[in-house]
Amino acid sequence: MFGLKQSPWVIHYDASSCNGCDIETLACLTPGFDVERLGVLNTGDPKHADIFLVTGAANEQSHAVIRNIYDQMPEPKVVVAIGACACTGGIFRECYNISGGVDTVIPVDVFVPGCAARPEAIIDGVVQALAALMDRRKAMKALGKNVDQVLYSRAESADAARILSLQKTAHQQEGTIYGEEHVPGLVQTLPALEVELTQRVFIKATVNGRLVGVARGYAQDRTGFISDVIVHPYFHRCGVGRRLLEELEKALPDMNRFEASIGDKCVESAAWLQRQGYELYKTDSWRPAIARVYFQKERK
Amino acid sequence: MSINSWISLVVYLLAAPLVGGLLVGWDRRISARMQSRQGPPIFQPFYDVFKLCKKENIVVRRSQNYYVALFLVFVIFTGGLFFAGSDLLLVIFALTLAAIFLVLGAYKASSPFSFIGAERELIQMMAYEPMVLLTAIGMYMVTKSFQVGDIAGYHGVPLVFLLPGIFLGFLYTLEIKFRKSPFDLSSSHHAHQELVRGLTTEFSGRTLAMIEIAHWYELVFLLGWVYLFFASMPILGVAVSLLVFVLVIFVDNVFARLKWQAAIRSAWAVAAVLGFGNILILSLLR
Amino acid sequence: MMMTLIPLLILVPLVAGLAMLLIRNDHVRRVIVTILVLAIGAASVLLVVAPDAISFTITAVSDHSINLAMNLTEAAMAIFVLYVGVHSRRPLIAVLMAVQAGLMAWFEYGSGSHPEVSQNLLPATDHFSVIMALINGIVGGGICLYALGYMKEYHEVAHTDVTDRRPTFFALLFVFVGAMFGLVFSNNLTWLFFFWEITTLCSYLLIGYTRTEESRRNAQRALMMNLLGGVAFAAAIVYLSRNACPLDLQGLIDSAKSGGSSKALVLLPAALLCFAGITKSAQLPFSSWLLGAMVAPTPVSALLHSSTMVKAGVYLVLRMAPVITETKVGMLVALVGAVTFLVGSLAAITAADAKRVLAWSTVANLGLIVLCGGIGTYAAVWAGVLLIIFHAVAKCLLFLCVGLVEHKIHSRNIDAMSGLIVRMPAVAVMMLIGMAGMFLAPFGMLISKYAVLMAVVDAAPVLSVFIVFGSSATLFFWVKWMGKLVEVVGTPERVRNEFTLGEGLAVGVLSMATFLACLLFPMISSHMIVPYVTGVFGEHAASLTQGNIIIMMIMMAMVMLFPLSFIRYGRGPRVVAAYLSGANVGDKVQFLGSGGKVENTTMNNYYMRGLLSEIWLSRCGVICCTCLLAVMVVIACQ
Repeated sequence: MFGLKQSPWVIHYDASSCNGCDIETLACLTPGFDVERLGVLNTGDPKHADIFLVTGAANEQSHAVIRNIYDQMPEPKVVVAIGACACTGGIFRECYNISGGVDTVIPVDVFVPGCAARPEAIIDGVVQALAALMDRRKAMKALGKNVDQVLYSRAESADAARILSLQKTAHQQEGTIYGEEHVPGLVQTLPALEVELTQRVFIKATVNGRLVGVARGYAQDRTGFISDVIVHPYFHRCGVGRRLLEELEKALPDMNRFEASIGDKCVESAAWLQRQGYELYKTDSWRPAIARVYFQKERK
Repeated sequence: MSINSWISLVVYLLAAPLVGGLLVGWDRRISARMQSRQGPPIFQPFYDVFKLCKKENIVVRRSQNYYVALFLVFVIFTGGLFFAGSDLLLVIFALTLAAIFLVLGAYKASSPFSFIGAERELIQMMAYEPMVLLTAIGMYMVTKSFQVGDIAGYHGVPLVFLLPGIFLGFLYTLEIKFRKSPFDLSSSHHAHQELVRGLTTEFSGRTLAMIEIAHWYELVFLLGWVYLFFASMPILGVAVSLLVFVLVIFVDNVFARLKWQAAIRSAWAVAAVLGFGNILILSLLR
Repeated sequence: MMMTLIPLLILVPLVAGLAMLLIRNDHVRRVIVTILVLAIGAASVLLVVAPDAISFTITAVSDHSINLAMNLTEAAMAIFVLYVGVHSRRPLIAVLMAVQAGLMAWFEYGSGSHPEVSQNLLPATDHFSVIMALINGIVGGGICLYALGYMKEYHEVAHTDVTDRRPTFFALLFVFVGAMFGLVFSNNLTWLFFFWEITTLCSYLLIGYTRTEESRRNAQRALMMNLLGGVAFAAAIVYLSRNACPLDLQGLIDSAKSGGSSKALVLLPAALLCFAGITKSAQLPFSSWLLGAMVAPTPVSALLHSSTMVKAGVYLVLRMAPVITETKVGMLVALVGAVTFLVGSLAAITAADAKRVLAWSTVANLGLIVLCGGIGTYAAVWAGVLLIIFHAVAKCLLFLCVGLVEHKIHSRNIDAMSGLIVRMPAVAVMMLIGMAGMFLAPFGMLISKYAVLMAVVDAAPVLSVFIVFGSSATLFFWVKWMGKLVEVVGTPERVRNEFTLGEGLAVGVLSMATFLACLLFPMISSHMIVPYVTGVFGEHAASLTQGNIIIMMIMMAMVMLFPLSFIRYGRGPRVVAAYLSGANVGDKVQFLGSGGKVENTTMNNYYMRGLLSEIWLSRCGVICCTCLLAVMVVIACQ
């Protein structure tokens, strides 16, 4: 894996930090510690970066920003939470505006404790993140090569944690558009998901044991409701979503029609649904300033 | 085209990225040592490019990467034309075309940082273009030919003794072309950014790798042009080219970034005084 | 009188133009204009392919009656202009016209010799005239076709406050086209002058078409400056007649070629004719009339003030090239052109109004052609003719497209054209072709600029500094405009009905022409330009080597690959928002500003108004070039 380990480019964001950890992070770039000899470059641009260094706890305002920056990073990417606040919320955990560490917003791979975390610890954290990065890359490559070997099967309650993680990743862009509190997939908690797994039909798509997509739905009054079809961003446009939808429709037999609804600003999802044979039939207001559009398909 | 030009063309096409990458690696190491740091290994640029090729392709507008692909193609074409010994004016125009594709790609990305980066890049181009054209004209006036092959094979006094003003002006514009302080207005290679990454903000993955490789090709081509000033003494020419490269790095580390108004004023003043002055003297001597 | 294709080309548009005054019905006019345009276009092409196709004799008309008709028309025009000068309280106009009329009267009825001019019109073997006629016929015809749809929208939608005088408008367009044919084929200088004056008058009437205060003022300024050139022209004719010199173009050039005293004698009239050419093609210090003429409707700007009428000025200068080459007069003319090129290119950077940018760019490129004429070597004239061809086609295309855009988005500001590539894709692509044709390798203008550089470096290296600075400036303003067209913020709405049939046909044909001219320029060069230049200079020199042409063709082929990029295949990239420091809101490059307010980003171009002041630049240029012209006249008098 030539290159990925030797050239980690970093983007650094201060969520609500007191700047202590930030100063220590930037100290790593100075001649005293010189991370550039490891190939680390502090780019300020998420589109160029591999490693996302976050300091400070996640407060209300930084949720959107963290998610936005994370979304704009290309795969493979890893997140390093630096300092006590970023790991767990630190001494500010009980505050009204702090939801906790950065892992309440995005999946974190390496936690570097300390208040403030020392440069040596930060460098160690980055090096460990490199290992996680390599793993991520290997998995992506393997998955990328084996698209035709995707397996579709019913999901079980043991899959709940992985489904939740996939949910958070897949709904990033929606969260940016609507605000995360309005996206059910982002606010759902693990217990709630486990309950849902018993009540609804879940079809999962896996490759080499890794979860890449989930579709869920339920039946009611001879109508099949498609709640959600999510696919890992790296697997878009491979036909995974289409197969998941087909499998879900097959798993809800004896239905006259299927219905699905999405937010009105998700233009691409709307287009995708229409390509699967669904037609727009209703627009409704769901929450203030947010409308949902409803699609249906008659079973032939 | 003779056999020699074919050979140098092929050698350029294959070796330029390697040589360019090594030079950039040395650049970072020398800069680091000047800053009392260790610096990355000299193969770091290659690691960077390999890593970038493995990253996902993210865009803001779907067609923005095609401009960069054409940028790379034309930069290689430009260098190829140069090393094949072809017409120097055409080489300059081809390089301009290449740079315009990059700028249009940045415009296409439709983001504020890349927009300003694109405007600044255009200002940089406007700043160095007169001097570069005057260099070509100066070389023509001495060697009576625009063909790089003829200039390289010129057996008289080394051009630099007849074109001292133009040589100095050319060095000044090299600083702009290499995008180094004090002229790294549009996009800076190192961590000191003003506009996030300026021109290259919205490019990622393989596209960014293409821009990097294009810069390597361009680097070798420009140092080759410096060599032309000393073409009749080849070894001295190579030595001076490398020395010029080190000088550019030195200036980069010493100076802070200039404002764009200062950049274009100084570059045009240098072109007018040194470049035009040299040509005036040459035409009077004829 | 022998009626071949050339006299027909002159008379038919003139007569048809006058007849257009009577046609009130729009549909009838549409049909007649279309037929006329097709006929003129076909006849222009026929001129190249089969010049002797039509030939018949009209016995009722003799040379004497033609001259009488011309004199009467000139008198009528003079009276009209005097009236204008008096009525609008611009005594300068009246004075200039009086001087000009006086000079011509002195010529006609004074005691000087009236040399017999054997050939009043140039033959169809004069390739330069044929090239100009082709441009006039095809480009001019296309514009007339475009004007049908454009003026309809102009009066019915965009400018309902302007009185609809379309019969007059189209009449003037066709009269102008006929006059241009006459101008480029005239050998006899008095005939040339006659057609020259008609074009001046057409320009005055068309600029003042909207009858607003502003347009009236600009029309008068144009009239005044062109009259100044006319006075110079008349003075040249008088001088030639009093000194028993030939009164036709061929004769003048032959005198110059025979060298010695006859060359020195014709130098002053040639300088005066160049002066006239400089005023007509809006070189500094006379550029303000062209910039002011942009108030006129777009077809006027395209036809008169970029493609054809102003080309008449540089046509005359290029014709005079063999006379003024290697003289101080020539060098001064070249300097005027060079300074104009530099000032025009720099001034265009500061302009935000699209038509103003195009106007300054026109002035600058005409300066390049005047530069070529001033240097006057084989290579320079070759480059100059090539420049005329490429510039006429590309600039006209740009003007027409800007007209279409203005009607649809109601703005001429470059910053308002953001995202045009999705709002009006066809027009945007054609504009990009036009702009590429104006400065980008390997397209037309670049080939010409390359040739100019080569010519200048051989003849007068010191002038090259103007060219290199000017061409870097042109780079800036064209690319920032191109960038504005391709950038897309959010999802703008697509404009329905970008253009009507006539308009679409005109811009489509022009795009094709820009393209083909670039692709086929070796052929154009060898079949048309080289024969002309060899005929004038006698020798044959290498223009562009074979190797360079091949390289340019390769570059063209590579650029052509670009449209292939729009084919989508495979997974494609992931689309995310632009980077706005993490504060993105929605998908329209909006961000969450301070106070929780959603802000829009605006991205406006650099106009460098702090660095380059348009007023200061033109002032310097005016002073500089006035001095140059004054010196030129003084030197020529000796």
